[in-house]
Amino acid sequence: MIERGQRWRLLLVIGVIALVWTGLGARLAYLHLGANDHLRERIESIRTVENDILVGRGRILDRTGNIMALDLALKHVFVDPKMVLESGHGRFITAQLARMLELDPAMVASKVNRPDRRFEYVKTFVHQDVAADIRSMGLNGVHFEDVSARYYPRGVLLSHVLGFSNLEGVGSAGVEQRFDRYLKGVPGLRITEVDGRRREVYERRGVDIKPQEGADVFLTIDQNLQYFVERALDRAMVDHSAKGAWAIVQHVRTGEILAMAARPDFDPNEYRRAPEDHRLNRTIGFTYEPGSTFKVAVFAAAFNEGLITPDEIVDCENGRWIHNGRPLRDFHPYGKLTIADALKKSSNIAAAKIALELGEERLYNYLRAFGVGRTTGISLPGEEAGILNPRNRWTSLSISRIAMGHEVAVTSLQLVNMLSAIGNNGFLMKPRVVNKVVNIKGETVVAVSDEVLGRPIRGETARLMTRLLARITETGGTGARARVDGYTVAGKTGTAQKPVRGGYSDHDNIASFMGLIPAEDPQLSIIVVVDEPQPEHTGGRVAAPVYQEIASQAVRYLDIPPVPQDLAARFTAQYVERTK
Amino acid sequence: MKHGEEKGSMLARLDWIFLFAVLALMGIGILFIYSASYRGDNEWMTELTRKQAVWAVAGLVAFALAVMTDYRQLADNAWWLFIVCLVLLVLVLFMGVKIYGSTRWLNLFGIQVQPSEFAKIGTLLVLAHYLSPPSRDMASAKTFFAVFGLMAIPFVLVLQQPDLGTALMLLPVTLALLFVGGVPLRYLVILGVIGLLLSPLGWYVLDDYQKERILVFLDPGRDPLGAGWNKIQSEIAVGSGGLGGKGYLMGTQNILGFLPRTVAPTDFIFSVIAEESGFAGAALVLGLYAVILGCGIRAAIRARDRLGRLLAAGITTSLFCHMFVNIAMTVGLAPITGLPLPLISYGGSFMISTMVGLGLVQSVYVRRIDR
Repeated sequence: MIERGQRWRLLLVIGVIALVWTGLGARLAYLHLGANDHLRERIESIRTVENDILVGRGRILDRTGNIMALDLALKHVFVDPKMVLESGHGRFITAQLARMLELDPAMVASKVNRPDRRFEYVKTFVHQDVAADIRSMGLNGVHFEDVSARYYPRGVLLSHVLGFSNLEGVGSAGVEQRFDRYLKGVPGLRITEVDGRRREVYERRGVDIKPQEGADVFLTIDQNLQYFVERALDRAMVDHSAKGAWAIVQHVRTGEILAMAARPDFDPNEYRRAPEDHRLNRTIGFTYEPGSTFKVAVFAAAFNEGLITPDEIVDCENGRWIHNGRPLRDFHPYGKLTIADALKKSSNIAAAKIALELGEERLYNYLRAFGVGRTTGISLPGEEAGILNPRNRWTSLSISRIAMGHEVAVTSLQLVNMLSAIGNNGFLMKPRVVNKVVNIKGETVVAVSDEVLGRPIRGETARLMTRLLARITETGGTGARARVDGYTVAGKTGTAQKPVRGGYSDHDNIASFMGLIPAEDPQLSIIVVVDEPQPEHTGGRVAAPVYQEIASQAVRYLDIPPVPQDLAARFTAQYVERTK
Repeated sequence: MKHGEEKGSMLARLDWIFLFAVLALMGIGILFIYSASYRGDNEWMTELTRKQAVWAVAGLVAFALAVMTDYRQLADNAWWLFIVCLVLLVLVLFMGVKIYGSTRWLNLFGIQVQPSEFAKIGTLLVLAHYLSPPSRDMASAKTFFAVFGLMAIPFVLVLQQPDLGTALMLLPVTLALLFVGGVPLRYLVILGVIGLLLSPLGWYVLDDYQKERILVFLDPGRDPLGAGWNKIQSEIAVGSGGLGGKGYLMGTQNILGFLPRTVAPTDFIFSVIAEESGFAGAALVLGLYAVILGCGIRAAIRARDRLGRLLAAGITTSLFCHMFVNIAMTVGLAPITGLPLPLISYGGSFMISTMVGLGLVQSVYVRRIDR
């Protein structure tokens, strides 16, 4: 038996064991039964993985399928500094990364030499080939992340129409913004569980929404025509030391925009470096007092109402006419002119008299019908409506000023669209830049069709206006320099003084020319606007030659045949024949 | 007189409650080794389960042999057994099989054995034998130093493998033998104070990975994906079990491999049990262990002589330490050490040595003196 006096030792052992076991039991109870929600959540969060399945953004293509914008698969290169340093090859890896990525070795070293960090980007948006080369070197702790980046292969070409998508892949201007919904696709979502090695456990996949790739947007723009236009604008900018220049080429029958360009512009690949001002699409986002080009609407309205005839005589008051106590002036003084000649010579006094004959209400209604003062609805963000004051805000002088293109503000798109209506038998079409949206399976998701906005004038009025406008590019007309060899151009010049504080500027003008070609059977409606050209400043001398350059290339490129000489001669003489 | 007080046959005198607890734990072990090594394919038994079942049977045979062997005769041969163990430990260092960076296994006739497991019993036996003669003066410093000297030999050898966990297990067993043997308390107190004072020095003895484990124990967020991974995942596994567990083969921490496959059937088997069978299962295991420990102490109390008492107390202490360190580790109360859970963890040598130890306890118990 156990020695006396020693028994307590074994009892103490029992006590210790009992105590320890109670402790373990308590800990178990705490873990199992206690507030262990955080542990369960921890499990969930470690195990559950939510993956947004990213999709490629759709492409943007021109009308013939040339790619104007696409997603490039690139890689971010990042390092696990701890791993790099622990590999013992920190300096070697740093040197290799700097060499391959063309970075400053000191900069790379500053990112690598942070043993407390597990993640540092070294360079973002690295080309696949470079990433593959680095990967093949098997550097410890160097990792890659798949990303896609928007790329605009033509650089500045068509930048204002394309717009750009930002770093998050959200379209932020132009077609990229307006068609973001289609371009971006629908990212998929997969909620699933992973095992201890972060591999997916397929049976435990919960939510699995298949991604929808972004759809392609086909534009109405023709890349080559766009190029001609932009080259012509660049030349105009230099030749006339201009502050800006822009142009639109529209298909008359359909309203499709074949080219749309503005200067200054930007490279959408580098959009962040572009000043806000350069990103402005001036063809739709810049409103100005149009000046003489606006007379087209006034004359068309009066013809349509039967108030005037082309050979009717109007007194141009030798260039100075007092109306409501205020003088109106013509650039060149004229005496009595036919209406046709008054349009050809762009008499302000004749336009004012015609407008007065129309009366405020009819003038206002016609201008509204031509789309003045409201957006055309082109599918581009940032379109301005311009200004056409409601009639109750007109003064007694307003009607004569509006007649000569003052006291209203328009966009160039509104003007060219108005001219197209005249070339299109009076039908005002909705201008558009997008033809269709095609998804990844080749199905057309959106088919944009031609849309008639209205018919402000009758067909015969439209044809008469076209004939009269064709005289403007005849020898002696204000738009003679817009003439394209072998073709007849029906157009109108405009020279608007820019408004400054308290009146109009003496030296800052907006020179414009818009014209239909060929006038006999209008196919293209083109407007050219040059902002603050120096020293030449009239539409006829500045904008008309640019028009000529664009139009002559356009008709050749689009294979628009010239009308035979005899027919052409008859066309311009037609109104005379009929009225004689 | 010597055998006079023993009533009834050996079988009748066996502690059947004790044996029942042992069998239950073995069963639980095999059940959950299957779960821990289960991979979802329709194998009715995994390789590990099969092997463990074989080890369990072998363990029972060893147990029976140990019960039948008179511990007193065994103690008479303690020196020889101790020397054999030391030789094996030396052999390991020269011709051992290296697994996971340490050399702990010896290949004997195609079977890998872990001599350190048997050295634990051998050391225990020789110390108990040394302390058992009534003539041994417990109060003399000579006895005290002799005991530590004997213990130091296998301690240093095991440390060389390196296997710090197993080596350290020799310490509490030695202390328990001294304590139960009746060494004056002041010796143990002085020893404890010296140990405390010297423990900071121990930091410099540790390998980097061991330091890291201790640091991670103190601050699990330190390296959650590296050294802290097992601790965090084990704690999560235990905690997510709830009252009734997630169900057999349903423990996601285990099945999905958050508990690394290499340690789930061995060192971390308790987390698998706790996750899949919840508090109920974990408490059951704890209870069964309590039964075994209780029976062990009872054997010590009722042992017919000092040798028996020392043996039963020493073996019980050793088992207790294994159980505690392992469970405390899985529930996040102790740093990660590579110590297995007796009777449950996968492993042959440990199973056999545990069963031999338990058999010796019963060998003491069946030869008790009835009051």
